[in-house]
Amino acid sequence: MNRGRLSIGRVAWIAENTFREAVRQRLLLMLVITAAALGGSALVFHHRSFGAPEPEFLLDAGFGILTFFGSILAIVTTVQLFFSEIERRTVLTVLAKPVWRSEFILGKLGGVLLLLLAFCASGIVSLASLLWWRQAALAATDSGTFENGCRISYAAVIAGGMVQWLRLGVLAAITLSVASYARTSLFALVSGFFALVICNLQNLACQSYRLADLPWIRGAARLVGGILPDFEIYNMVDRVKAGGPLSAGYLGGITLYSLVYISVFGGLAIYCFRHREL
Amino acid sequence: MNAIELAGITKDFRSGAGAARIRALDGISLGIEAGEVTALLGPNGSGKSTLLKIILGLLAPTAGDCRVFGVPSGCVEARRAVGYLPETPDFYPHLTGFETVRFYARMGGLTRAGLPERVWAAIAKVGLVAEAHRRIGSYSQGMRQRIGLAQALVTDPWLLILDEPTSGIDPAGAAEIGALICRLKAEGRTVLLSSHQLEQVEEVCDRAVMLDHGRQVAAGRIDELARRAGGIMLGIESLPENAWGELRAWLEARGGRLHDTRMNRTGLRRVFLETVQRGRSGEICPP
Repeated sequence: MNRGRLSIGRVAWIAENTFREAVRQRLLLMLVITAAALGGSALVFHHRSFGAPEPEFLLDAGFGILTFFGSILAIVTTVQLFFSEIERRTVLTVLAKPVWRSEFILGKLGGVLLLLLAFCASGIVSLASLLWWRQAALAATDSGTFENGCRISYAAVIAGGMVQWLRLGVLAAITLSVASYARTSLFALVSGFFALVICNLQNLACQSYRLADLPWIRGAARLVGGILPDFEIYNMVDRVKAGGPLSAGYLGGITLYSLVYISVFGGLAIYCFRHREL
Repeated sequence: MNAIELAGITKDFRSGAGAARIRALDGISLGIEAGEVTALLGPNGSGKSTLLKIILGLLAPTAGDCRVFGVPSGCVEARRAVGYLPETPDFYPHLTGFETVRFYARMGGLTRAGLPERVWAAIAKVGLVAEAHRRIGSYSQGMRQRIGLAQALVTDPWLLILDEPTSGIDPAGAAEIGALICRLKAEGRTVLLSSHQLEQVEEVCDRAVMLDHGRQVAAGRIDELARRAGGIMLGIESLPENAWGELRAWLEARGGRLHDTRMNRTGLRRVFLETVQRGRSGEICPP
């Protein structure tokens, strides 16, 4: 039996269609407006920054908002876009054509990644503009403010945005793998948020297990800890605050780490979806 | 040559881990001849949609073999030869009718060369050219059904599988779809449709397969199946009321019996269609 080859063109069409559908959702608009409003409010509340310089406070707030709303977007949009295909039965008309289930899943994941890229890019452009404006204003009022070299590097901010995109991409892949076998969207949604919490807390859990006396407990903890990614490594705000650009080694390592997890969970989603009865 | 060959198709579903198996299809074996229009009939839950999904390769049978034009269902060659319209279809609300058909054309493997022409031709076949640039979100159910037919036709398939093609469509639209099916048959295409509209099935189909509780209970040519029901049904038009007694007496004298008299629904349907037709051609002005 000729099983045909995977077509990048079909994957790209499904991804484009998924992206176009996602940008028309009200949820995205709501999240962007709320994120922008919170970002703007950071300007008002910067004097409550417990002594931190204003650019650093803006950087903290900006990346915090990007990660928080991006995580909601990654989970909710992935679940919504996947289950809307099932509920509308468009999945049947697409898969009745010579389209492989793997192409469908890769297209869905690609569309969500594009959406998250657009979200992170717009967030980073807004944050960089805000920082440029405030740093220029601070330099104009007090020329000695940046003499000690603590001016924030825009290259580091952009690289930080890319790191956040990778984090959200990993989260979307995990959520899609759950959605591909889940019977209800609620289950997939709740599981996605559970995964987010586990990924954020697992660094703490591993630290405490590393203190265990028995070596097999340490080994088991390391093994279990490897199943889901550790989101702590994506927290790079302190590196950005340091002023210099993020090192190529750090960026290369984190990109590889993310690609491995995206591939593993994407592969799991394909496997589950291939065995799913539609 | 058979367009579809089914041999001992059985499908079991399990509603959850440890749950009892539900047999949706039980040993279905049949062949559907190429170039014919075949109806799949049966009450709700009889397994019609499950059987259609197995033919499309969307579901794997628990047992049995399914072939489309001689190749296993679900493989690339089989899917290239098939166009599918699901029951009460819905499409991407952000796309226009044209974009929807173009999307499915690309999914079907059509290349850019001549793509818009193929898309417009499919849209024209279902009579939606004027509405092709409107978003699907603003379409009525009947229009969605037609755009569903257009996406099934766009790749020029030799086998069309239509799950309730006239559900949600007004009688005029249903008649147009019936005419389209007849045109497809004249082009030598094979059509397999499931429907509850028995009257339309009689008009457009050559054969019928009946399912009940997942089993094949009857199959054959429509006229043969109708004959099995016994007796001949007479349609009488324009008979004066006072002639009914004479008709009854005439029948009884020849050993027959007037079994049932009722108003002819076909007549109402014809009146409706003729009125709509005249309205569209401008013969009738709205009050």
